[in-house]
Amino acid sequence: MFNRKINYRLPRNFLFIFELMSLFLLFIYYRHDLDKFTIFSGLMLVFIVYISNFMLLRISTGDNFIFLIVTMLVSIGGIMIYRIDSTLGMKQIFWIGLGIILFFITYFLIKKIKGWENWFLIYVISSILLFILTLILGSRVKGAVNWISIGGISIQPSEIIKIATIFTISSYYTNYDKFKKMKFGSYYLIGIMYLFTLFLFLQKDLGSVLIFSAIFLCLQFIYEENRKLVLLNILILSVSAVIGYFIFPHVMSRVEIWLNPWKTIDTKGYQITQSLFAIAEGGFFGTGLGLGHPEFIPEAHTDFIFSAICEEMGIFTGIGIIILFLILVYRGFKISIKQRNEFFRIVALGISILFGIQSFIIFGGVLKMIPLTGITIPFVSYGGSSMLSSFIALGILQVASEELDFEEE
Amino acid sequence: MEKEVKRIITILIGICILFVSLVIYISYFQIFKAESVKMNSYNKRLWIGEEKILRGSIMDRNGKILAYSEKRDGSYNRIYNYENLYSHIIGYNHREYGKAGLELEYNNALLNISESTTLNELKNIIVPNTEGNTLQLTIDHHIQEYSRNFLKGKKGSIVAINPTTGEIYSMVSMPDFNPSTLKEDWDNIVEDENSPLLNRAISGLYQPGSTFKVLTSIAAIEKGNVDEKYKCTGSTKIDGYNFKDYNEKGHGNIDLEDALVYSCNTYFAERGVEIGKEKLGEVAERFFINKKIPFDLQVDKSSFPYKGSAGKTDIAAASIGQGEVLMTPLNMAMVASGIANGGDVVKPILVKETISPKGRVIDSNKTQIISKGTEISIASKIKNMMVEGVKRGTSKNASIDSVEVAGKTGTAQNSSGKDHAWFIGFAPAEEPKIAIAVILEEEGSSGGQAAAPIARNIMLETLNTIN
Repeated sequence: MFNRKINYRLPRNFLFIFELMSLFLLFIYYRHDLDKFTIFSGLMLVFIVYISNFMLLRISTGDNFIFLIVTMLVSIGGIMIYRIDSTLGMKQIFWIGLGIILFFITYFLIKKIKGWENWFLIYVISSILLFILTLILGSRVKGAVNWISIGGISIQPSEIIKIATIFTISSYYTNYDKFKKMKFGSYYLIGIMYLFTLFLFLQKDLGSVLIFSAIFLCLQFIYEENRKLVLLNILILSVSAVIGYFIFPHVMSRVEIWLNPWKTIDTKGYQITQSLFAIAEGGFFGTGLGLGHPEFIPEAHTDFIFSAICEEMGIFTGIGIIILFLILVYRGFKISIKQRNEFFRIVALGISILFGIQSFIIFGGVLKMIPLTGITIPFVSYGGSSMLSSFIALGILQVASEELDFEEE
Repeated sequence: MEKEVKRIITILIGICILFVSLVIYISYFQIFKAESVKMNSYNKRLWIGEEKILRGSIMDRNGKILAYSEKRDGSYNRIYNYENLYSHIIGYNHREYGKAGLELEYNNALLNISESTTLNELKNIIVPNTEGNTLQLTIDHHIQEYSRNFLKGKKGSIVAINPTTGEIYSMVSMPDFNPSTLKEDWDNIVEDENSPLLNRAISGLYQPGSTFKVLTSIAAIEKGNVDEKYKCTGSTKIDGYNFKDYNEKGHGNIDLEDALVYSCNTYFAERGVEIGKEKLGEVAERFFINKKIPFDLQVDKSSFPYKGSAGKTDIAAASIGQGEVLMTPLNMAMVASGIANGGDVVKPILVKETISPKGRVIDSNKTQIISKGTEISIASKIKNMMVEGVKRGTSKNASIDSVEVAGKTGTAQNSSGKDHAWFIGFAPAEEPKIAIAVILEEEGSSGGQAAAPIARNIMLETLNTIN
């Protein structure tokens, strides 16, 4: 017990120092119009992060490193967003606070309620309802129809559907033997997943199409007994990727921009080239907080926040963020292997793959390593929906990191 | 269970590979790509320092101001005094479309920005730099304007150069554009299939046609055995491929001089095969074909791919400037200038001096022989042949009453179906003061008809106006 606390205390204190130092830089940057509220909200962030890490250690017996990693990520993101735009920064701190509260609520709900693995149909139906709702009420943002607005608040249902989908797949494979006995039982899941992907395609949300397919493919690869089905799925996905490339002009244009953005630098290639300029200017150690030019980067607070971070904090911080995600994914996988409850084992995998693939797609995209699809970096980018759903997913992962063999007794 | 863990680890390894490749890629990008990416003119960070500095003026050889900056509404504005006339030399400096021409190549000099060292940065804090340097060009405004008038409504390029000093008097490329109204015209400029943004003088690659025979002649003399007579019948077969003369009538019994004077294709095609690709290529490279020409603007390389698989037909075609040989007008002007200068090729110069705001010359381009094109005796022989060409051959239209002119025409076939009209030459033949290359792209007429008279007028005007 004593040893465990020492282990957590050191990185927690490092994080505390990092936050104080970067806040100090921020205050220097905003020295001309620094008000009490700004200072208060900055210190608030440090306080929330410190207290919640402290609390979690007392509440959960599971893996407390994942929350520590995530608080580091939200701190870097929050500080960068604050530097770009103080109003957005204030809002982001609010979202972080709310996210942490939701994290704890989710943690208790998931732990208290039993029978998550039995509600396969509920997950499927609610996902489909959310999809239909998006299609009917959806408004177009940046080319994708994936936002709905209810009572003045805009939410992105696909963020919630991601978690519902992971639950769908997990409950299917937990009850695999039951489903297999039914007629066409082995094709239920694959059919549902294609339906989901089709919905996302209709919304022109290419990033989510990739994420959903990747999660499904990975989980199917691990749990599907019928190996032919796995091969068939890979085949169908690759063929539809090729067909999609030729049929849908927006897919083709993404690839063209990726191959040569310099040709269309003042139109289609503008975003990605501005991102590359920022990363190139930053060098290894960055220009320093407040000394770069994130105002030149389009969408610097959401999709391209990684470029803004690389410009001002250097690619060393950029690589740091990449490694943090890698460790998060690694711990998620470790949680899964250790977990004896099959449902939560699969859920832990799904969530880890979600974090991993989603961050990889956007890191690779802004670096021009892979074609760019506009999605957020979990925990880092600005945005309520993304932040809250990521914290919900983290809360579930936190539960999965504890011993849950009670049900098997 | 065992199988499940194995598969989980497989997926984990896959994700690890993805993330590690991200780290490798971002490091690779930062180490190898970042420097060149940063310098792209669309990077707005490059412009930030400029707001505070008065960009230097650009003037011609006589001190006439061609471009300058002035303060208006708190920010500096770039003014180009002569609309289209210098669009390819000076280029443009535009917030949205970046920089081109001398505005690009001499950006640091025009802004008086030195390399970023700690010392320079300290100096800049103590005495902030507010004014850039002025550039004095070798261009003569009158000749530049005079030259451009001949190309109005046409496609093509003219380069007029002093063969002993390398100073460029005029460099025209048509069609051109107006750097002052770039924003309004941009869409049209970009979509125009005649590419007005292309500086044909340094980036236009054309088949040189018969003007290349000058180089073939040098190679022939250096190789020896050129005095024997040759009977021209108007066509010859090399490796099954038929080479014809321009008018398809034979020239009869001729020697090298007559062949160059009357521009006999069959003679040079056969002689080229005799000379061999190695020799021909070597002579061409002494005149900077296949080589980077040192210049104040970025010049595209002329090319003559003689190494490797070039067969007899290819070499025969190259000897008369057809086939795979491609040359820039500036390079062609350097060929003329090299022969005019006794075989010594001088470095072409566009920016004469860089002058500090206090009037001190801080940098200047000095005349420099950059290659020995050929022996002085051979250059003199070629010169005489080119003089004969103007007296009695294909270049008659370039003759000037009181001055001896040397010249060579070219009519280059190309994929468009309309021939390019070429002329290269210099005057006066003894002690040359000006060398010139004229090309009219897809003119559909012969070099002697279309290009030679233009070159004649420009040479005459230059001799009359420049001391």
